[in-house]
Amino acid sequence: MSAAEREPTLSVTDLHKSYGTLHVLKGVSLSVARGEVVTLIGASGSGKSTLLRCMNLLELPQAGALQTGRHRFAFGKGQPLPRDAELALLRRDVGMVFQHFNLFPHMTALQNVTEGPIQVRNMSKAESIELGRGLLAKVGLADKADTFPAKLSGGQKQRVAIARALAMKPDVMLFDEVTSALDPELVQEVLTVIRELAAEGMTMILVTHEMAFAADVSTRVGFMNDGILAELGSVEEVIRRPQNPRLIAFLNRFHGSRSG
Amino acid sequence: MYAWDFAALKPYWSLIWQGLGVTLFYTATTVLAGLLIGLIVGILRTAGPRWASMPLRAYIETFRCTPLLVQLIGVDMSAAMACFIALSLYAGAFYAEIFRGGIEAVDRGQWEAGRAIGMRRSKIFRRIVLPQAIQVMIPAFISQTILQLKNTSLVSVVAVGDLLYQGTVITAASYRPLEVYTTIAVVYFIVLFPLTLVADRLERRLGAHR
Repeated sequence: MSAAEREPTLSVTDLHKSYGTLHVLKGVSLSVARGEVVTLIGASGSGKSTLLRCMNLLELPQAGALQTGRHRFAFGKGQPLPRDAELALLRRDVGMVFQHFNLFPHMTALQNVTEGPIQVRNMSKAESIELGRGLLAKVGLADKADTFPAKLSGGQKQRVAIARALAMKPDVMLFDEVTSALDPELVQEVLTVIRELAAEGMTMILVTHEMAFAADVSTRVGFMNDGILAELGSVEEVIRRPQNPRLIAFLNRFHGSRSG
Repeated sequence: MYAWDFAALKPYWSLIWQGLGVTLFYTATTVLAGLLIGLIVGILRTAGPRWASMPLRAYIETFRCTPLLVQLIGVDMSAAMACFIALSLYAGAFYAEIFRGGIEAVDRGQWEAGRAIGMRRSKIFRRIVLPQAIQVMIPAFISQTILQLKNTSLVSVVAVGDLLYQGTVITAASYRPLEVYTTIAVVYFIVLFPLTLVADRLERRLGAHR
């Protein structure tokens, strides 16, 4: 059974998003099945990050639909904009990790991780601390629980950010260029954590420039070009034997700079 | 050469204490009221409805850009009440801008991170943004509070018996203006200087994670 035939964990349908006259998404549909790892590649400005940010509605599309679990949102003429409370409920179940970490600087690593469970899931403090310590251990930072973000390296910060997102026990994880702001020698420690999550069967959608990594972990790869999901297929189809001339041109620019 | 004679002030010390009490009273009450006004106005200006922005801006700029002295005598009611209201609104206008600046200084990514873990706006504001904003605001906040204490001296022109007013009274009785005003200045300094030290410590303590 192909991935697309299984029951989707998250799907978007015909998403359109513009900023003023700039049409960033021109009708994108994507359905991600449980346990899948879909990476989105493409040049900067192709709309891949915007697409990802529409999946937890940090960006609201002007038209289209989003569905994940029990959450359904439709956008377009005559559709009311979702309320803050509805958006918050959606985002409990869709975790996101950012390029620039966005850790809470006034909280320790552990407090960053327990903030969501305590404040949003109403978990008891003791339980959340146990959960938080477990997750920090999982990302290799058990000894940094009481450290403030300012004292962590970029790679460590990003691993805390992953633990923070995991603490909400999301159905899907979104990764938005999570290694782009890191020094090269710190990239691997973050990719290793993501690989482990993939191996555990976490459903993930990633925007990345790490082609070798994408080829390694993805069940499917999507190529965004000019606001459209121009290609969507297996690693073999999209990265190893690309047919689309624009995709070939894009991949050629990555030769010699491969890592992961 | 002028012969300083601070001993001449001895009979008037009780007046100075009385004046200090009035000064501190006005400072404390108007700082509290001003903070409340400033917090509400500052939040409304950053996160409130758009239609509220213009009138709030008008309020802020009216009180920031006209002399406090005019504000004090421009209100037609008892001197004490007029002073309290004018000083509170005046402080509120400045505090509002300090709050707004502090809130806007917090990185947009902090809001996004809060939203991404399912927090609602009000909770993000309280738990994530405000604590960081307060830290940014402390130096400006302390300066404004120090100014506020000194600004209360303007109430003396409407015959409210603050420290400076008593100074004027004592001068009239003792003919010792240099001693009187020097003493008054020293009293202001003794009250305010420790406040700056508290500010330094507070800043360091809240900034411990940096």
